[in-house]
Order: sequence, then structure tokens, then C-alpha cells
Amino acid sequence: MQKRNLLIASGLAVSVIALACASEALDDMASNGGGETAPMFQVDPFWPKPLPNHWILGATIGVDVDSRDHVWIVHRNTPDQFMANQEIGAAQDPPLSECCVPAPPVLEFDPDGNLVNSWGGPSETGDYDWPGSNHGITIDHMDNVWIGGNGTTDAGIDRHIVKFSRDGQFLAQYGEPGADPTSSSMENFGRVAKIFVDPAENEAYIADGYINQRVAVLDASSGEMKRMWGAYGNTPTDERPPRYEPGETPPQQFRTPVHCAELSNDGLLYVCDRPSNRISVFQPDGTFVTEHIIAPQTRSQGSTWDIDFSPDDEQTYLYLADGQNMKVYVILRETMETLYSFGDGGRQPGLFFAVHSIAVDSQGNIYTTETYEGTRVQKFTYMGMGPVPAGDMGAPWPEDRRRSN
Amino acid sequence: MPGGKGAASRKLTARSGVAGLALAGSVVGLACAAEALERLAGQDQAIADQPGTAPMFEVDPFWPRPLPNHWILGSTVGVGVDSRDHVYIIHRGASTLDGRTEMGAATDPPTGECCVPAPQVLEFDPEGNLVNSWGGDGEEYRWPSSNHGIAVDGVDNIWIGGNGPGDSQVLKFTRDGRFLAAYGLPDQDASSTSTEHFGRPAKISFDNQAQEAYVADGYRNHRVAVVDMNSGDIVRYWGAYGNEPSDENMGPYDPDAPLVQQFRTPVHCAEPTHDGFVYVCDRPNDRIQVFRKDGTYVTERRIAPMTLGDGSTWDIAFSADPEQTYMYLADGKNMKVYILDRASLEVLTSFGDGGRQPGLFFAVHSIATDSQGNIYTTETYEGKRVQKFIYRGIGEIPAANQGAPWPAGEIGG
Repeated sequence: MQKRNLLIASGLAVSVIALACASEALDDMASNGGGETAPMFQVDPFWPKPLPNHWILGATIGVDVDSRDHVWIVHRNTPDQFMANQEIGAAQDPPLSECCVPAPPVLEFDPDGNLVNSWGGPSETGDYDWPGSNHGITIDHMDNVWIGGNGTTDAGIDRHIVKFSRDGQFLAQYGEPGADPTSSSMENFGRVAKIFVDPAENEAYIADGYINQRVAVLDASSGEMKRMWGAYGNTPTDERPPRYEPGETPPQQFRTPVHCAELSNDGLLYVCDRPSNRISVFQPDGTFVTEHIIAPQTRSQGSTWDIDFSPDDEQTYLYLADGQNMKVYVILRETMETLYSFGDGGRQPGLFFAVHSIAVDSQGNIYTTETYEGTRVQKFTYMGMGPVPAGDMGAPWPEDRRRSN
Repeated sequence: MPGGKGAASRKLTARSGVAGLALAGSVVGLACAAEALERLAGQDQAIADQPGTAPMFEVDPFWPRPLPNHWILGSTVGVGVDSRDHVYIIHRGASTLDGRTEMGAATDPPTGECCVPAPQVLEFDPEGNLVNSWGGDGEEYRWPSSNHGIAVDGVDNIWIGGNGPGDSQVLKFTRDGRFLAAYGLPDQDASSTSTEHFGRPAKISFDNQAQEAYVADGYRNHRVAVVDMNSGDIVRYWGAYGNEPSDENMGPYDPDAPLVQQFRTPVHCAEPTHDGFVYVCDRPNDRIQVFRKDGTYVTERRIAPMTLGDGSTWDIAFSADPEQTYMYLADGKNMKVYILDRASLEVLTSFGDGGRQPGLFFAVHSIATDSQGNIYTTETYEGKRVQKFIYRGIGEIPAANQGAPWPAGEIGG
């Protein structure tokens, strides 16, 4: 999502060099858009560098990349996310062990994987409501940080978004926690899953969410809600569609959670209707364009968890995280054909437990985070274009280390 | 690193360590959490005071190769190496996996393409290829209710314990999973003086020359039990300091209290050496006790003695040289592996920390070495993996704790 930011930043000498190096590879990406080759990736098992202070991550439910290719993650660091005695012994009173302590919820890494900043958590002065359950992190074109939430606190259900400067200074809160969200509210949200900010129009697209069944669009400066819609551009209701069944006629409303809403450079908004295994495509005004069902046999949590695009101008490829099938799809955006996928279930590098969020940097590298007990961020280095692998490639390891049989 | 390298910290080293820590404990008996953390962190400061050499290791992030069939591991609670350097692990499978989010391919109907619990015993060749898998109930025996420990004897038979309800036996199989024998019966509420049954045995190790198996017994019993490897007879047993074991409840471990005269449970490992000693993991007491093979007490060493709860001494393996010069100790509470000089029981260095990346740990539970000196570890709870640490020869000790043992150049900056 940060291509435009990169162009803005290219006045800096260092950025120009980085851009020059990147552009060659990205040109390849764009010129090979016919589907015979695809962008290839290899997991970097040593990114990021180990955290200091015996810090560990909880369920890691958001990732984004800023204009400097710094990688931001948000995770759930409250004690209930961990086994108190077995996992965060150093955070007990008295401490049981040298390790471990929950890291602050927002962590910023430089491109080399060094932790360069960390912050977040409930306000000490009460000037904002930190979400009851962190969900999604987005860095906008001003390098401001937007965070949603899908939990509950003493103040009520997460019906709001919080916005901070990159160093964690509170800037704004849109919506208030409280009772009974509705998909028609112009003031509040319903457990927001993720945010996308369109720098050209200064609008924020809200995947809303875990209770509401809509996309909501805000003025990114004032937070004022400008428009909203449900599946097919319908007026969103709070009537729940029946449980997903393979082969169904897709419902006229989104199921919850509506898990992503990502705008492409050419003005198409891709919405993750997660339990419906559906990507719905709209124009920015909410006009329905088309829809695609991914892995239609998937039940339960669904297959369409999060989306980002390749960083070439054309955004030739769409990368889709699927936390139920534990993999990432590489999709040709023009046709929405799945070229191949990588990953599988497991705790080793390049495998996943519930890959939840995905983001791409200016060099074409992919970053993913894993929720539940996955509790990590992984980097997949862009290796250039290659022949399309057949189907699932499994763990994207160096060739000589993959499964031999 | 708190504590510095001054005389005060030196006082906590080596053979004066036990007395020194007891004294320090009485002074700061009511230490606040922060001070207690400093005490925890300073426990192995002595290591850095004496530059020297030790075996060096580097994690292999791509070992083993990915499992087939969308198989995943549950809590992984044992590792052993056979005569061909094949690596065996045992894990707890579905009982430690989440049906909704983790085992989508094992539900009815399936909710996704992934994942399925792997069979409970997995065998890998040295390159990390899965070459066999087996485990579970059979007609002639009852599989443990909670797997715990896997060990390979001198003729490549596989022994497993169990720490669940009713696990009062030890099972023996050929390396391809054919049942050979059960020693003890399931569902026996035996005591620490039983000569027929065990009490949730944690791990088994072997004196192949004498054809005797040492059972760390266990999660219920408070003893080491020695078994004739052919008949399964319990030929002798003992408690802490070689005392007659008792089942008295000693309450939780207190680092500042006098050392207790019995093992707390679990007794988590009992490892005989070539030169006739047995090293016992008295896990919640944060100590290793050393015995002669007849149960005569030799010495003990407290490791990270401020550690509470699960304790610090989880499992032991020895270096591959005939002298077994070094001892490797897994500490699932502090999330690291210590390298000790076996003769002096000095901690030379350690590696690891908490985390899910390669070379980090969530509750490193079991440890084994192969003939090349490589280390294998498994992680329980939500760690759920086996890791390989490649032996890189003897080198200068870089730090008291090395953190993640990554390739040179991956950590700096």
C-alpha cells in the first residue's frame, strides 16, 4: 500500500538509490503479468532480530510497512494472552524465572529487523480508549498509526479507532466504546478489523468488522463518516446470514468479520468477507464490481483474512493470507487467478499457525503475522520472478532444504 | 547485566555457590519483584568472570524438513537419538491442539486443508527427512494417557514413559513401533517404594553395558528407579541424597529455605554416564544431584536457584566425546540451554531465550545429542517443535548467555 508514499519520499538521496534498485525487480514483476511466471519468495528465518528484555509476543494480529520500509506490528500483550506461570514467569510477582515478559503492543522494526521503537497500551490520562483486543495496524501517508479493536473493556465493546503519531503520541479517537454496535451508525463502529488510508483522497476505509457487516469510509483528518455499504453495495443490515455452506449462493450481506478493505492504485477496493471465503471488489464509492470465492471448501473462520498488493505501479499481484488453511496465495490481480500458494501448518519458518495479517514493502518483500499461538512476525524475501510452482509450494525454503520426498 | 563482575558476584560462584546463595537469600528474603528479577538475572553472572572455551552451537532453522500430510505437532515432550543418528520425538497430538483454529483438517466435516495431528512418535534421519511414524494404543498394551519422554537403548529399542492419570508403567518397542514389553501396569497408585510399578515416569536412560535402565520416577513418585533392561524388574531405587524415598508433600520450593532431603516432583531426568555417575534432575528444586550407580550420593549443584514454579533442571544430555566432558541442561522455565563442564558442574555459558524464532524457546523440555555432537531439543506447552543445534567445535565463550545461537552476522547491528 505504500507505493505512493515511496514516491513522495524519493527526494531523499538514500531513497532514490533504494528505489532504483527496487524498480528493476518491480519492472520484472509488471512485465511478467501474463501468469506464466510469478513473484517468488523465500522465508528469512532470522528476521526480525531477537527482542530485548526477554520480551515475547502474544497473538500478533496486525502488520504494516511505512514510507521508510519500517515494519510495524501490533499484538495482544495482556496477561490473559499468555500462560501466566509457564510463559510469562518474569512478569509474575514474585517473578518465577528470567523469562518472559509481554512486549509492548506496538513494535517498530527497521528493514534489517532491529527493534527501533515500542509503545502502546491503555492511556494513563484517560484521553483515549485503548482497544480491549488489539486488531490491525495501519501506517498512513503521514506516518500516523491507526489501530482497530475487536474486544470489550469496562467502557464497553470496541466501537472505535485510535490514531497515534509514529512515536506513539495520541492524535485522535473516532467512535466510542459502548453497547450494541449497529451497521448503520454514523458515529461508532462494531469491532474494527483493519483500516486502509487512501492518501490521494485522504479517506480511511474501515473493515467494520467483527460485529458490524460493512465497509465504512471516513475523512482521514476529521474522522467524519462519509459513506458505508454492505455486500454488493447494499445498505448494510445487522441480520446475520446463515452459516457458510460450500456451493451456496453468496449472501447479500457480509458475514462477520469483515476482515480487510484494501484500495488499489487503479481505484478498486478489495474487501475480505472472511467466513464467506469471499473477496468482494468495489469502486471507491461502493459500486459493486465483482467477487471471487477462494478455497470454497473452507468452513469455520473462512479463507480470506488479509490482502496486500505487489509494489509495482500496476500492483500486478495480490497476496492473500488464509489463516484457516495456513497459507498465502499469490494471485494475478487482473484475473484473480491463484497462481500458487506457499506455507502450511507448523511452527518452523515459512509455516504458519493462523496467518492473520500481511503487508508488502517497497522492495517486494512480504511480512506476515500469526494470531492464536502463532505469535510471530515473519519476513518472506522477494526473490524475483520465477516459473509458477504447481499448486502449493509448502514452506518457501532454500531449494536444497525443502522436502525431498 | 546487573551484578557486575566484582567480588560480590564472584562469591556466588562454584562450590561456594550453595552457601553464598543461602546467605544472600536470608538478607533479601522479602525482596520486591524488581530485586528478585535482578537476583534471577544475576544467577549465572559468574560464567562471565572466567573466560574460557566451550562447545559452540548454531541453530539450523531448516531442520527437520516440513512434515507431510499437513501434520503438526502438539506439545513435544521427548527426544532421543539412535545408533544411526536418527532422531525420535514424541508429542501429545490432538490432546494439546485446538480443534477450531489448529486442526481444521481433522474435524468432521473438515473446516480447512490444514492441519492434522501427526502420529505421536516420529523418526527423522540425520538430514531431517521423516522416515517413520507410529504410536497409540495396541492390543497388548495401553498407550500412556499423557506421553512423556522417549529414549533409545543400545539396541535401538524405544522406551517411553507417561505423566498422565493412570500412567504407572514404562513401554518398550522396536524402533519401528512393534511392541516388546510393558514394565509395571497402568492404573496403579503405587508409591515411591513400589518394586512393581512406577508413578508417572518422566524419562528413561540407559547403562547399556550393565543392561540397566534408569527411570526418572517421576510426576507422582519421588525417586530414581533402576530397572533390569531385559526383565523389567526394579532392582534398586533411591530418593534425594540416596535417602529412602518418601511421598511426603513438601509444599512449594522456597529458594531461601534449607534444601529438602527428598526430591520434589517431577523427578525429570536420571542420566548415567560412561564413568559411572548418574545425574538426576530434581526439577522444582532447581538442582542436579549426582550419584554413583548404586545410589550413593556424590554431590549436587543448584542451577538458577531463584527459579520458582516449574524449576530450572528439566533434562540433561552429554557431549559426544567418550569422556562426556560437557553436560547440556535444558531449562524450560528460563527458556534456555546451559552448557556445563561436567567435572566441575560449572555453568560455562548458555544459549536461547523466550520466543518462537529459531534458537529461541517456549519451555524447552527435552534434550539429546547425536554422535556428531549436535544437540536436539523439543518444546512443550505451545512451543510444539523440535530444533537442531549444529555443533560448531570448541570456541571462546562469547557471553554468559548467548541468546539466540544464530549464524554470525545475523544478530549484530
